[in-house]
Parts: sequence; structure tokens; C-alpha cells
Amino acid sequence: MAQIPNLDNAPINLISIREQSQKELINILKNIRGKKCLVIDPKLGDSLSLIIQTSLLKEHGVELRHLSADHIQTDCTKVVYLVRSQPNLMRHICSNIHHDESKGLQREYHVYFVPRRTVVCEKVLEEEKLHNMVTIGEYPLYIVPMDEDVLSFELDLAYKECQVDGDTSSLWHIAKAIHKLEFSFGVIPNLRAKGKASVRVADILNRMQAEEPVNSSDMVMPEINTLILLDREVDMVTPLCSQLTYEGLLDEFLNIKNGSIELDASIMGLQQEGEKTKVPLNSTDKLFKEIRDLNFEVVVQILRQKATSMKQDYTEMTTTSQSVSELKDFVKKLNSLPEITRHINLAQHLTTFTSKPSFLGQLDMEHTIVESQSYDICFDYIEELIHKQEPLTTVLRLLILFSVTNSGLPKKHFDYLRRELLHSYGFEHITTLNNLEKAGLFKKQESRSNWLTIKRALQLVVEDTDTANPNDISYVFSGYAPLSIRLIQHAIRSGWRPVEEILKLLPGPHLETKRGAFSNSPSFDSLSGVSTGIAKVPDGRRALVLVVFVGGVTFAEISALRFLCSQEGMAYDLIIATTKIVNGQTLVETFMEKLG
Amino acid sequence: MANVSVAAEWQLLYNRYYRKPELYPMRWKHVDLARHKVAGAPFGGPVAVIRDDSKIVQLHAESALRKLRLFNSAGHPLADAVWRHPGGRLIGMSWNDDLTLVCVVQDGTIYRYDLHAQLVEPNISMGKECFEQNVADCAFWGNGVVCITEQNQLFCIPDFRNPKPVPLADPMIDEPPRCIAVIEPQYTMSGNVEVLLGVADDPVVLVVEEDGVQRLGEGLLRGPLQKMVVSRDGKWLASFTHDGRLLVTTSDLTGIIIERECEADENLRLIKPSLPEAVEACVDASGHEFDVSRQRTLLRAASYGQAFCSNFQRDRIQEMCKILRVLNAVRNPEIGIPLSIQQYKLLSPSVLIGRLINAHRHLLALRISEYLGMNQEVVIMHWACSKITASLSIPDATLLDILLDKLKLCKGISYAAVAAHADKNGRRKLAAMLVDHEPRSSKQVVPLLLSIGEEDTALMKATESGDIDLVYLVLFHIWQKRQSLEFFGTIQARPLARDLFITYARCYKHEYLKDFFLSTGQLQDVAFLLWKESWEFVKNPMASKGSPLHGPRIKLIEKAQSLFAETKEHVFESKAAEEHAKLLRIQHELEVTTKQAIFVDSSISDTIRTCIVLGNHRAAMRVKTEFKVSEKRWYWLKVFALATIKDWVALEKFSKEKRPPIGYRPFVEACIEADEKAEAIKYIPKLADPRERAESYARIGLVKEAADAASQAKDGELLGRLKLTFAQNAAASSIFDTLRDRLSFPDVKVPFACLMSSE
Repeated sequence: MAQIPNLDNAPINLISIREQSQKELINILKNIRGKKCLVIDPKLGDSLSLIIQTSLLKEHGVELRHLSADHIQTDCTKVVYLVRSQPNLMRHICSNIHHDESKGLQREYHVYFVPRRTVVCEKVLEEEKLHNMVTIGEYPLYIVPMDEDVLSFELDLAYKECQVDGDTSSLWHIAKAIHKLEFSFGVIPNLRAKGKASVRVADILNRMQAEEPVNSSDMVMPEINTLILLDREVDMVTPLCSQLTYEGLLDEFLNIKNGSIELDASIMGLQQEGEKTKVPLNSTDKLFKEIRDLNFEVVVQILRQKATSMKQDYTEMTTTSQSVSELKDFVKKLNSLPEITRHINLAQHLTTFTSKPSFLGQLDMEHTIVESQSYDICFDYIEELIHKQEPLTTVLRLLILFSVTNSGLPKKHFDYLRRELLHSYGFEHITTLNNLEKAGLFKKQESRSNWLTIKRALQLVVEDTDTANPNDISYVFSGYAPLSIRLIQHAIRSGWRPVEEILKLLPGPHLETKRGAFSNSPSFDSLSGVSTGIAKVPDGRRALVLVVFVGGVTFAEISALRFLCSQEGMAYDLIIATTKIVNGQTLVETFMEKLG
Repeated sequence: MANVSVAAEWQLLYNRYYRKPELYPMRWKHVDLARHKVAGAPFGGPVAVIRDDSKIVQLHAESALRKLRLFNSAGHPLADAVWRHPGGRLIGMSWNDDLTLVCVVQDGTIYRYDLHAQLVEPNISMGKECFEQNVADCAFWGNGVVCITEQNQLFCIPDFRNPKPVPLADPMIDEPPRCIAVIEPQYTMSGNVEVLLGVADDPVVLVVEEDGVQRLGEGLLRGPLQKMVVSRDGKWLASFTHDGRLLVTTSDLTGIIIERECEADENLRLIKPSLPEAVEACVDASGHEFDVSRQRTLLRAASYGQAFCSNFQRDRIQEMCKILRVLNAVRNPEIGIPLSIQQYKLLSPSVLIGRLINAHRHLLALRISEYLGMNQEVVIMHWACSKITASLSIPDATLLDILLDKLKLCKGISYAAVAAHADKNGRRKLAAMLVDHEPRSSKQVVPLLLSIGEEDTALMKATESGDIDLVYLVLFHIWQKRQSLEFFGTIQARPLARDLFITYARCYKHEYLKDFFLSTGQLQDVAFLLWKESWEFVKNPMASKGSPLHGPRIKLIEKAQSLFAETKEHVFESKAAEEHAKLLRIQHELEVTTKQAIFVDSSISDTIRTCIVLGNHRAAMRVKTEFKVSEKRWYWLKVFALATIKDWVALEKFSKEKRPPIGYRPFVEACIEADEKAEAIKYIPKLADPRERAESYARIGLVKEAADAASQAKDGELLGRLKLTFAQNAAASSIFDTLRDRLSFPDVKVPFACLMSSE
């Protein structure tokens, strides 16, 4: 599977993390002798595809199945369940085993929980009287490297669980994952956090360090200099705006899942009619690495240039006589032809979406809402979307953006739109509305919005953004600089202090602290205060900042961070970690829940 | 000391020299070993002594009650206990690996004692057969015992940590065996114990296992054996034959090792040792010496000789001094553990420390572990626990101070473990106080707090830790222990616990969750649950659409509605539920009148659309009125529904009914989407906004009309966009350029409208 990304150029040794996870999984399989049926919960299976190749699993006598309510059909007498420790998944396991029992099938069951066994899952097994029939184990997978600079905790429901259910399991998971990283790369000496969840993660992380300290004496210098934690709640505007970078748009329209997209083979110029093909998207693809973070507009031009120049070369090749070295160069160029073709096909396909009037209208509306100037126009537009029964996620996405920038809607409008939604899409969506209200995403206005102040103070809307030669992160949304990344820009450059007043306008507390053995060491002051000194690691590489998004991050934001990294005078390399890579649609979907 | 006397102690036996030094003059009084059963522990351990009740003895000035007495190796009394157990004669007793004294009595009961002559509960039984047949003899090893009954059946307990008696194969002998010995499970091929029986009048040894009996030594032995002993490593067997020979064989009786005299290699002794070897020998010898002054002499000699050897490892002597200091300390008669150096090395310092603290020699243990640079946690921990046990009369606060004073000596010590012990001793308050000092893992503290009944503190600590799993642990614990109402009250006060409970119960304890919400007065949440339940009727296969089962379903929704109405904050939800119930009724009726099961569970808007598509305009109108559907929504719905069935006549009629409240855009959009240009053209001119007109014309490809409308709009951006829409059409493109020039608008860039040229 070409899906497993190449991590050779990662700023920290991510290969060892991945290999460790591979080894742990193989060991589990090795310890259960003989042929066995491995039943994986589908979402976990997706994550695992970034860790290990299916063929490797099969080498260990594994028959692969996806976990569902349907019973397992296999000749194996040993069944190994590999599931995330979520109580609702236990249901399927229980019904599987009960089915086997009713059919008189004698099997040996193992349940491996990811990342660890939990009381609540075992409780379910106990209530179903199955706990004596299964052998329980753990597979401590806390982090999945998505690319050379992106890590995912694979907690797709984290934001909703925290905000709606009050279930903060994900925060412990994040802290544990960071703590595990610290065991490999040293205690991170500087910490900055903004948002309730992030500050809590920092707190749990410090507790873990107190209870189970990373031995700092055998680590000369920590490999990661600074940890920045940011709540998604702090910036709910950015993920709801349509991403305009190449990778972002691919995700918006084609849904990048674990570093690849699936589309009709015909789109990629392949012969098989009606068949699907998988296209991996990561830094292993050199051309993709070059263009993924650019504004799509520019990508189109670059691809066109490449194609044209290739065509020119070809014409020259056939019409004039060439020296051997010129031939060589040409052949070299030819090697990149498959990549160029691939991305021309993809970009071509994307334009069928981007040129639709509905998309242009939506973009226009997003900008109007972010500008926060014409309340009535926005309200009417959304009302009309509901009346036309446009897809609910599309409607909610704009509606939430509208509500968040206005810090809620006046009661009359709030009730009216809720009623129109229920009338148009069905009363079962009352739960979705309830969830959104609990999370504060679509609610009654209780105080004046300070979005305008924030927008102005942080220069979030930038006129005359040159998308081709950008000098600011605003290029990723053609004129809107993502709030989240602006904050991180400040956090990296000068710490929280200069922006403290603005931070107070955003939800949740903020925190800036030193940790571990370095809490008293002046040489590590470089990141704090007004000093912009650079903490150089001895071998001359740039110091490393780990940016953690609690609640998800979009590709456009990742692109903006990479852009910051590439700027001259930037003292840091960045590595990004997130509960899950999201976009407006997937984020909204986590809150959608039908009564029925 | 004179060399002669030292040498004279040594005696040659086979090819080695041995000596038998007296370690201690025994300090005990009135112990006649001949009248007692005696069990000495290996590795310089204690000695247990009890009067042998199988012998008739004359009682001197002593009580008729028998006493089990424990001494250290120097005969210094450690503890005693009166023996008044039922169950018949004491058959055998022995110390096992963890220095528990194991005593087997006739009826197969096993009593266990610790180092302090305290009975270790519970007693173990060898099983029903032993009880009925009586135990005749037994043989022990490190951690197990084999008993033979009077009917010559064998039973064993392979491991006292899991004391289940296991019957062994029937040796099929009529007379009791002459002698019995065991090979420990860890040294046998099978991993199960092997029992060796020397039987009367048969020159073999029977090997009895769980699943069979073998005869060994046939042809090797010339007669029955009288006595057998297996070496500690299970490899060798020493036995006394019927004719008085001493025989050493391999334990599988396949080869004889010693039966005849061997010549000592005198020559070896004549080789003049080189100096380093001599020094080495001195150091070694000092290690084996028990007499302190001789140790000194030997070490001094070694030290002297060492000065003349360039390559002798200097720290050898230091090391030996260290070991001897420890050995001499424990050999002190007060302590009375006469360990040899080999034994010490085999035992390892940590086990020795374990034995010292077991004997409550904490100070010495602490000093030794300090001296050897070992972790003192074990010692301090044990001390603290013993202190708690022994300090019943000291008040909690005072005892806490005493304990903390010592506990703080050891960084990272588990206060939780000490607290657990305090709790076991009935000192719950002290336990809670100790837990408060535990800086370490909440993973250890929380379960402990639960075990000592400090549930609220446990919940607090678990919540603080951020580890949801721990919170669930506490939650389920309290849930199980308390009455529902009390439980509800506890978690209601703790938001995290409450939320987790709700999350879990939502999945698995629906009814119980309702009780919770009712008890806490969260009626709206009960309402949501009922509303959710109303859908269960849909999933139920018995509830086919249009059936009377809609009755109970609607009732549930109405109940939800009235619950919502209880609170001011949920007027909206109440209204929604009311409308939902009403909608279901109407949909039900519609399904009856139209005889089509397509209405139930569609939305209000969808219901209206379906009615119009079916041509039932009256019904559509009725739904509109019932639910006060706005004119705006009504127009969108009706226009799209008519376009779906391509009823263009009706659409036109509808457009003329009255001036549409949102203009003619719905009509234009519906026609364009249905790809009916001719119909669209009817409505486009009626659009009020010239920009909308221009765009609409453009969408159906009418370039000139689009350009005209755009020039009216005087919108440069619009022109640019339209030009791009017609990018493939050169003529059209030029029209827009001309227009723009005329209106003098700059070239505006429009993102994303640019199409990839497919070159």
C-alpha cells in the first residue's frame, strides 16, 4: 500500500514511533498461536492502514474482518477483536459471541483494546456475562504519523464528546500521547496553551510527569523545545470556511481519508469504467509536496506551466537534434510525467466543483459572514438554503459560522431558524440542534460579539492578498488569515504576553509555563518574553515546536503553518499534532445525531 | 590461632575435604531433640520444635499442653504457641520457601505458622480421602508437600500459594514404603512433582507422578532402600541400602556416582601455589570462615601478599570485607542466622533483608541495605506496616507523625501501600491521612481509597487526575454500593461523574437514566428520552406503517411535550413535540386516504411536496395552514414540486396567482435546474435585479441577453465572471470585453471560475 507515508525527512524520529507500533501489533498476533480471525473496528482499521501493511498481517496467519453487528464468518477457532475502547463497540462483540453461542460454536476470543482497556468497556462485557469468555489485552496505539510533520491521535469525536457529552477521555489520551513522545524525545521545556481543554491537557501532562517522570538526566537536550496547545473551541470560524489550498479543496470535495482519496478510475484517466481507484496524498509524492499548500488558483497555473513546458520539450525533442545530456534531462523530466498527469487530472476534477455557481455563492457568503458587516443578507441567504432544503451539513456549516461570529443569534431568529430547520428536515434533528446549542455553536445571543475587535486586532482579513507570492498566511483562504494560526504565530514569535488582551476575548483560559528540569534554567528563556532569540540545538538544526490542536485541524491550517515555517528568519521547525484532521463538513457531522 | 588445630578440623570424604564447625552453643534449655519433632529452615533459618506425641515421654516440670516453639539458629527463642489443634497426631512439619512453618496432622489438615508463631489463616485440607484414610507420612519440598495415607494412596499440594490437593497415581503397594523422597516440580521433566518410594523387598524405586508409576533402578539396586535424600538441585539421590552401603546415584537411577573409595589426588597438593593464587585462597578462605578473628588473620595475610602481586584485583579484599561484615552481623547470636558465604550468595542480599524484616530486625535490615547501597523502601515500608500493627493504642495523628518521620527518608515510597495496611488494621482514618501524602499515581490511590470506603475522596482524586477510566471505576463502585437515590445525589454534585454516567446509561441503562433525570428534576431530559423512544416503535418490525401502533407512539411524544412544557426554558421543544405529534396524525390520515405508505416520518416540507406531486393540492394547503408554513417556504416548495412533475402549466398559473412574495427567482431556478430553457425565459425578465437576470441568462447560455442585463447592472466584477463563464466561446468573450471597455471597469480577477484548459 503506497498509503503508508515516507517519514525519512521528519524533524523527529517518527519512523521509530511507527515501527514500535508495528512491532507491538505483530507481537500481539504472534502470541496468539496459529490461524486467527482478526476483527477490527472499521475506523481503527483506517488508522492502522497508516501503520502497517495488510500483507504483513496476513503473514501472521490473520484473516481480516471488519467489526459490525453481523456475526463473523470464519473457519478460525480463534477470534481476535482489535477495537478502540468505546462502549458502543462492545455491543457488536457481544452480539457476535452470543450468536456463536447460540450456534454452538466453540471459539477462543481475545479482545485487544486500543489504546488501553477501560473499566466501562469491561463493564459491558460483564453485564452481558461474557467477561469470563474473553481474554483481554491492550494495544497502546496513541499516535499515528500521518505525514513527516503531522501526527494524529485519531480521536474523531473528541470535540463533540468534550463539548456535548462532557466526556473528556480524549484529553487524557492527548496528554498520554505527548507524555509518550517525551519518553522518546525528552521533556518539552516550554509550554503554551489556550482554551479550557488545552489547559487541562497541560495539567494532566504535568501530573503524569510528576507521577511517572521522564528521566531527564539521560536526555542531554530535549528534541522538542516548545509545546503549543490550542483548543478548536478558540477558533471555530476557520474550520467552517471553505479551504482554498489544493490539499484543502481536495479534502472539501473528495474527502481525504487517512492520507488518500478514493474516486472513479475514469477521473484519473484509467480504463476501468465504473471502478474506484485510491490515490495516496502525502509528501512521498514530490510534486504534491510542492503544491499541496498553495492556493488552488496558483496550483492550476503551475500545473499548466508544467504541462506546457513538457509539451514544448517534446516538440523540440522531435523536431531538432539534441545532445546526449539534453536527452538525459528530458528523460529525467519524463519521470515526473505520471505525477503531473495525476495532479492535472485531480485539479481538472476539482474545477468542476469550484466553478459551480453554488460554490461561488457559498464562498461569497462565507466572506460576508467573516467580514461581519451585513447581518440581514447572511440571514436571508441561510433562510433560503433551508427553504430550498439544501443538504443539511451545508446549511449548518454556514449557520454555525454565522452564529459563532455573532456570538449567537437574537432569540427570535434563533427560534425561527430552528423551527424552519425542523420543518424542512424533520423533527428527528432536534438532537442535532440540542447538541449544537450545548456546544455553543448555534445558540441564543447573550452578549455582544467581539469578533469584529478580534478580527481587526489580529488583522484576520487582509485586503489584496497575493495568492501567487504570498507574504501572509491569509493566502490559504484568499484573504482571510486563520485565527488559530495567527495565535500560534504570536505564541511562537513572542509568547502570549503581547496578545493577552485579545486572548481574554476568546473562550477559555491561557497558560504559559516552563517544565521539567529546565523550569529554572535561564538558557531556555528564548521563547518567552520579548526576546526573539533562537534556541539552536547543537547540531545547527532549527529548534522544534510541537503544535497540538485539541479538537481537530484543517489542511488549510496545516498549510498556513508550513508557510510560516518556510519564511525567512523563522527560527523553528514545526510539527503538528491533532485529534483528527477535519474540515467544516466532517466537524459538523460529528454533532449530527438523529433522534430516530 | 595455631595452624595445626585449624588443619585438624578438616576431614577427607571422597575427593573433598569437609569440616563440621560448631556455630553456636545452643542457648535453649530443656530441649531434648530425641523427644521432639524438629524442623530446621534452610539458609540459617529458624528452628521449630514441638514435643513428639508419637513417643511416650516422661513429663518433667512442664505443662501437659504441648507448645510449638520457634528458635533462631543459636537457640534463642523467637516465639511460641500452644498446640491444641484437633485432627490427630502431627505427622510432619517443615519450613517452606517463604519461611512459613507447615504442619500436617493425621486427618490431612495443614496448619501454617509465620515466624512469630502466629497461625496463618486459612487452614488447608488435603482432601476427603486423606481425611478418611488418615495420613501416614509426608514429604516436603520448598513450596509443596506429598502425603501418603494409611492405605498407601498419595496426594500432593504442588504449590502452597494455590493450595489444591491433587491425587497422584496409585503405586499399587500393600505395605507402607520404607522411605519416601520428592523431586521438586522445577527439576522434573514434566514440571510436576515426582515422588520416590523405596518399597519393601523390592530392589527398585517407584516413581509416582500424577499420571503414572515407573519402576527405576532395576538391575542397579541390589536390594530395597532404607533411606533416601534428593540433592537440592534434584539431580542426585543419596540412599542407604539394606546392606548398609551409602549409594549416590543420579536421581533417575541410571548411574551410580559413588560406591567405592577414590584416591585423592595427592599430587595436586604438592604443586607449589604461586603467590596470587595464595592471596586469592586467603580471601576465599576468610569468606568461608565463621570465626571472626580467623577471618581477620586470613584477610591480613591476603592484604600482605597482595602488595607483592602486581595484577591482583584489589577490590576483591574490599568486597570480601563488605560481605563478611554483613555475615558477621547476622551471625550474631542475637540475630542467629548462621549463613555460609555460599548460602548468602545463593540467597542474595535482598532476600536476606526480607528475612530480617520478617523477623522484625528492621534497624539491622535498614543498616545493611544502606551499607550495600540498596533501596531502603522495602525495609521502611515493612517497618511502617509493623509499626501500625503494633501501635493499636497510639492515636492516629501521633502515629501519622511517627510514620511520616521515617517514610520521608525514602523518596518515592508508596504511602498508598502503607495506607492500605492501616486500613486492613481497622485504622481507616489513619489510612485516609496517609493517602493524602501520596504524591504518586492516582491509579494506585483511587482503588485504595475505594477499598477503605473513602468514595468521595476517591471520586475527587479520580476527577483531578483527568483519567476518565478511574472516574468510571469509582462511579461503578458507588453505583453498586449505594441506593439509587443516594447514588444520584452523589453524582449530581459532580459534573464529570454525572456526565459520564449519563453517557454510559444512554447506551445501556435507558430506564435507569430516566429515573435519574426524574430524581434530579431534569424533566426536559426525560422528555428527550421519551421522544427518542417514540422512534423505537418505528424500528420495531411489528409496527408497520399506518398501523394502530402509531397511537402509543404519538402518546409518548405528547408526554414528552407536556414534560417540556413544565419548564419555561423549553417552550420551543414543547412546541416542536406538539407539532411532531400533530404531523404524525396528519401523515397517518394521508396514508389512509391515499392508500400509500409514503408520508409517515417525512418532514413537513417533504409532506407538502409529496402532496403536490400527487396532485393533492388541498392536502398540501391543509398542511401549510396547520403548521403556519410561511409564504416564502411555500413558494419554494410548490415551485420545486411542480417542476419535479414537469407541470409547467400549473407552474405558470401559480406564478400568476399573485405577485410571488420572494419574486420569480424560485421559478427561474426550478426551470434552469430542470433544463427547461423555454420555461426559464418566461420568468427571467420578471427578475427585479439586473444582476440576477444577467446570471440567469448566462446560465442558459444566452450571451447577448446576459450582456445587456449586465450592462444595466453596471457591475464590473459581474462582467468579469460572465466572461469567464463563456471562456470557451471567443465571440461571447469579446462581447464582454467590449462592454467592459465601454463601462471602463478594470480587469477583475475572479477566483476559481477559471477552468483548466484540457490541452
